[in-house]
Amino acid sequence: MASQILPLELIDKCIGSRIWVIMKNDREFTGTLLGFDDFVNMVLEDVTEYETTPQGRTKKSLEQTLLNGNNICMLIPGSEGPD
Amino acid sequence: MEDETPPPEEHSPPPQPTHTGSPTDFLKGVVGKRVIVRLVSGVDYRGVLSCLDGYMNIALEQTEEHVNGVVTNRYGDAFIRGNNVLYISAAEKL
Repeated sequence: MASQILPLELIDKCIGSRIWVIMKNDREFTGTLLGFDDFVNMVLEDVTEYETTPQGRTKKSLEQTLLNGNNICMLIPGSEGPD
Repeated sequence: MEDETPPPEEHSPPPQPTHTGSPTDFLKGVVGKRVIVRLVSGVDYRGVLSCLDGYMNIALEQTEEHVNGVVTNRYGDAFIRGNNVLYISAAEKL
């Protein structure tokens, strides 16, 4: 059988590189992944927060950020996000 | 005057992990600093992080409540229940 890779091992390989985080609601984040834990709470650096509203998309820059894993839906490694 | 440099140990400890950016490390580094706490509702609380726990329950000092970028309230001390927290962001370089 081919060697398995666990989902969280894939995310572990992304540490140090850019990642695009899509939340359950209309929010997205991009940043450099510094670390994460078993709940997929994530520490990001050089973060941009995107919020999609009926009026359009707003962007906000953040310093080092701990993102609560509770609302995370999808992670896309190596992506600069929606732009 | 001998023993200036200790001899290298036979069994040196395993190398530290190259990444020390885990959520726990972040929280250790950010206590006492100015932070922005955003709730899932979109409301921001800016203040000095006095302490927090594994649930992301947070105690803030000198807290300002921001709604849509406008200060709507100021509190000397504030407790935020962790289930509402979307993120904790450093308001200054760490």
